[in-house]
Amino acid sequence: MEPLYEYAWLIPVFPLLGAMLVGSGLISFNRATNALRQMNAVVIISFLGAAMSMSFALLWSQIHGHPVFLRTFEWASAGSFHLTMGYTIDHLTAMMLVVVTTVAFLVMVYTDGYMAHDPGYVRFYAYLSLFSASMLGLVISPNLVQVYIFWELVGMCSYLLVGFWYDRKAAANAAQKAFVTNRVGDFGLLLGILGLYWTTGSFDFQIIGDRLQELVSSGQISIVIASIFAILVFLGPAAKSAQFPLHVWLPDAMEGPTPISALIHAATMVAAGVFLIARMFPVFEGIPAVMNLIAWTGAFTAFLGASIAITQNDIKKGLAYSTISQLGYMVMAMGIGAYSAGLFHLMTHAYFKAMLFLGSGSVIHGMEDVVGHNPALAQDMRVMGGLRKFMPLTATSFLVGCLAISGIPPFAGFWSKDEILGKAFEANPALWILGWLTAGITAFYMFRMYFMTFEGPFRGNSTQAKAELLKAPALAFGPGAMDPRELEQGHDGHDSHDAHHGSESPHESPLTMTLPLLILAVPSVLIGLLGTPFHNYFEAFIYSPNETAAEALQAATEADLSEFWVMAGNSVGISLIGITLASLMYLRHKIDPAAIAAKIQPLYQLSLNKWYFDNIYDAVFVRGTRRIARQVLEVDYNVVDGAVNFTGFLAVITGEGLKYFENGRAQFYALIIFLAVLGFVIVAV
Amino acid sequence: MTDHFPWLTTLIALPAIAALLVPLIPDQNGKTLRWYALGVGFLDFALTVWTFWTHYDISSSALQLTEQYAWVPQLGLNWSVGVDGLSMPLIVLTGFVNTMAIFAAWNVTQKPKLFYGLMLLLYSAQLGVFAAQDMLLFFIIWELELVPVYLLISIWGGPQRFYAATKFILYTAFASIFILLAGLAMAFYGDTFSFDMATLAQKHYSLTFELLTYAAFLIAFGVKLPIFPFHTWLPDAHGEASAPVSMILAGVLLKMGGYGLMRMNIEMLPNAHVYLAPVLAVLGVVNIVYGALNAFSQQNLKRCLACSSISHMGFVLIGIAALTEVGFNGAVLQMISHGLIASALFFLAGVTYERTHTLIIAKMGGVAKAMPIVFALFTVGTMASLALPGMSGFVSELTIFLSVATSPVYSVAFKVLITLLAAVGLILTPVYLLSMLRRVFYGQSSLPEQAIAPWMDANPREVFIAVSMIVPIIAVGLYPKFVTQTYDVKTVAVAAEVQESITRVAQAKSLEAIAQQPLEPHQLQAQGVLSAYSPTFSSAGFSSAGLSSALIAPAIPR
Repeated sequence: MEPLYEYAWLIPVFPLLGAMLVGSGLISFNRATNALRQMNAVVIISFLGAAMSMSFALLWSQIHGHPVFLRTFEWASAGSFHLTMGYTIDHLTAMMLVVVTTVAFLVMVYTDGYMAHDPGYVRFYAYLSLFSASMLGLVISPNLVQVYIFWELVGMCSYLLVGFWYDRKAAANAAQKAFVTNRVGDFGLLLGILGLYWTTGSFDFQIIGDRLQELVSSGQISIVIASIFAILVFLGPAAKSAQFPLHVWLPDAMEGPTPISALIHAATMVAAGVFLIARMFPVFEGIPAVMNLIAWTGAFTAFLGASIAITQNDIKKGLAYSTISQLGYMVMAMGIGAYSAGLFHLMTHAYFKAMLFLGSGSVIHGMEDVVGHNPALAQDMRVMGGLRKFMPLTATSFLVGCLAISGIPPFAGFWSKDEILGKAFEANPALWILGWLTAGITAFYMFRMYFMTFEGPFRGNSTQAKAELLKAPALAFGPGAMDPRELEQGHDGHDSHDAHHGSESPHESPLTMTLPLLILAVPSVLIGLLGTPFHNYFEAFIYSPNETAAEALQAATEADLSEFWVMAGNSVGISLIGITLASLMYLRHKIDPAAIAAKIQPLYQLSLNKWYFDNIYDAVFVRGTRRIARQVLEVDYNVVDGAVNFTGFLAVITGEGLKYFENGRAQFYALIIFLAVLGFVIVAV
Repeated sequence: MTDHFPWLTTLIALPAIAALLVPLIPDQNGKTLRWYALGVGFLDFALTVWTFWTHYDISSSALQLTEQYAWVPQLGLNWSVGVDGLSMPLIVLTGFVNTMAIFAAWNVTQKPKLFYGLMLLLYSAQLGVFAAQDMLLFFIIWELELVPVYLLISIWGGPQRFYAATKFILYTAFASIFILLAGLAMAFYGDTFSFDMATLAQKHYSLTFELLTYAAFLIAFGVKLPIFPFHTWLPDAHGEASAPVSMILAGVLLKMGGYGLMRMNIEMLPNAHVYLAPVLAVLGVVNIVYGALNAFSQQNLKRCLACSSISHMGFVLIGIAALTEVGFNGAVLQMISHGLIASALFFLAGVTYERTHTLIIAKMGGVAKAMPIVFALFTVGTMASLALPGMSGFVSELTIFLSVATSPVYSVAFKVLITLLAAVGLILTPVYLLSMLRRVFYGQSSLPEQAIAPWMDANPREVFIAVSMIVPIIAVGLYPKFVTQTYDVKTVAVAAEVQESITRVAQAKSLEAIAQQPLEPHQLQAQGVLSAYSPTFSSAGFSSAGLSSALIAPAIPR
């Protein structure tokens, strides 16, 4: 097995090679490379396939007890300062490698169908491959600096992919918003890294944790300082995993093509925040205040996301808020110390949410045939309905995803969410109540989505409905918020194949798109069985760095089953209530949602306007920065430059005066210079 | 005096001699001339690389390839050149950027002979500045280099070129008088008279003298770098200069400021540097934040990039002010990295300008549609500039951040303040750069549909230039040691020198404190920010410098 580990660095390098190959082709032989189209995709998918096989082999070997593997080399040095990079393969890495490569592989296959008509097809594959390389680099990082490097690289890929359709103004805004919001988080992360290095002199997770403990317990540094550093580090995950208050970028990031939403903004990159919290566990766990902050941030975010998702009509935005909410669960799990429960949810969520997003992409792909290439129409659930008849495979897989995320046994989401809720109840019942309520809301909005999209009559041909949507654009705020009117003007280019729409009914997507959906349905149903309370294989494999393998194994087998039944009953109960409500409102139409919305108008508006976060941020930060920058420029122009120009004016005046001194004799100038130097020396000495 | 072939003199003189031959070339429209200039540029660059590859020892911090010939003995002026770790990387950078700039200036139709002649002359002058080891010689070449730049801006610039060129020459010429003043003062100080830099560095100056000369050099190099509030010539010069001149201006000329600070202020006046380093750190932070905010509200593409240069050069100041080997290392790397990134961006801005015929950002918009390859390259350049990991800017900025965070001479509060404010620049940089990118390239095309033609995208020459800039940027980003190892020995040596000064200053201060003598005002000011902190705990990350701060700490009564 050893050569496998020796060459494990190839896992991120394979997709990087693919990206470089295609990318340089695009730069130097643009037309020829674009003409090859699917050849590029084949190359890139094969490279990723190789990385995926290696990842599976590594997971296999790790399950069979191979020790942790670490390989480093000196990357930068200045005098006595040395910085090493390298890669590490442990249980967590092996699991993440498999999750990332499998989802990325399926998304790439799916992309072939989804982007088939797009002029940017090849470029899209190059970006996808670059992203996969960065993400894989992130999960094998052995130290904080390397994590930071790949952390920013995945952010850049996200920027490139959100802004993929660069002629859309909304996409450009969303891409910038995503990058800048993430930079705010990275700002904290970098300061945290610097602070921790300053106190502990290391970038290694375990060493930082141990030394920090030592320093705090011996009173050499105050717990407050340690907490500040830890919170600064946590800002990074908060931005990347879209946690309150840095969650605002994720819904806007849905401007990117749907495969990206599935891969980056649901399954892998956004989960990197949770991954980093897991890596930083040795540091966080020793500081209870920080753990509490993380737990409450997660719980609040879970609730926030769910409360906004209820009123979304854009299918992708609905899923985006659901992602925020689910990430909240994971972060909450980390905060209450439920290390393996959080990572378990990360894994199950990656599969079922990727499937849901790909399913929504399939729906959009089908809808575009009817309503044209206008995201304001093709993604709006109000013009969908009854799609199950036209696209049965997509509908089935979407239903599986809804059941999984709603926590209905035996689907994957049930086991992981229930474990988190159980641990939350032990830690703090208040957290549990928040999580439990959110579970109910989740079931409600997911089935609202399902019923609106796939059940009832098809509304896509109602010109009245479409006209209404276009006439009254959804409330759009903030720099990145989508304004459908902009999209109206902005849909040439990538939709140059506009001509072929106009059919009466949507159609099922091609096999390259439905096959990944069906494959993803398998883990969405089954993978939860790895983590049942009867025998928790997952927990026995993934356990906190502060635990030993024996402890983990013991914890994994000795669960309190009676408590499990109570907790499970509770959460399944509230999910069923949510589903029932959704069916009454959107399937049987016994209850009119509009009437309820009218009754609780302020709350409805709060949810519809995303709690007004975009408005506040726009007013305070965006415009604030613009105002300051403008003032600085004015100062620069009037004061700094003005002073100099005034000096120049004075110089001209004195020059005129001095003209009479000028007699053109070199000795005279030499004398002046000599006197000046003399004066200088005298003053100095 | 010299027992080996005069490599450096050859390298420096080659472009200048070639420039003298330009009038003899029978060429009216510049077609032959540009190949000639490019050939000379490339030959000199290749020769530079070869010379350093074979004759330069990177494991030594001493001056190498030194040559000395008496030039004007009456004045004590010597033609004395040599290279060490501070100048060697910058000389290579100069050769590279100049060659690329000549290649970028492919379509000069207005007075091509004068243009290429001046470019070659400028090439020589830049090499001379970095290689000069004689104070007077340094000053003369420094002044000499201003003339071609002035002419290049005022003849081939934009509509406001006279204003910009005059402002440039007034600022830099006025500032360089301070080099002469300080240089002369140092040469006359004490019993011996010499312009030789090594001799000047050996002299022991009184503290007041050091502080005054330091201030004089700081003004001279501060204008060049540029340091707030002497920066306002830069946006004007960049806004009006043509792309190749901007490439040299941003790629090399700004680095002369940083180089001068390290060569004169730190190497020759380490005691004053220990006192005034906090001032540099504060100025660096001001540069970073002020430059970034300024860039955010600029309406002109090249002015925006110019302000981004101000912001990035602030990091050089902070690195220099950290007083550690990590900081000096980062400062040199930041200079190299910014030289590559800024010249790539200015080149691409020029490419864009050739198509859009405007630099006003609001008048562009959606040009990605017409030139996707330029867009891709510009995106890479922007990413490099906002210090994306995997590219050189990240490594240098990270190194500088680390140097401040671990610097043993400053108090915790001061370090926190500097790090925090410099890190604010990390947020502001993407804000203005990505806004610029979005407004220029994203969105609906501002060009009429029929105006978009395949020829609008980058041609192979332009792709080649941009890619040759980007490759080293990424190479440094992926494996920084590949560059840092060429000069690390030198920066470590400089840091050791500064370290001695810190110890000396600390001892002097403790004596003063014992004697309870009243301090002079400027010392008070320096002490206010300098070091009241000594780490109470020791761990692997700290260097021995911690000891000296322990010396300083009790020495400050206030």
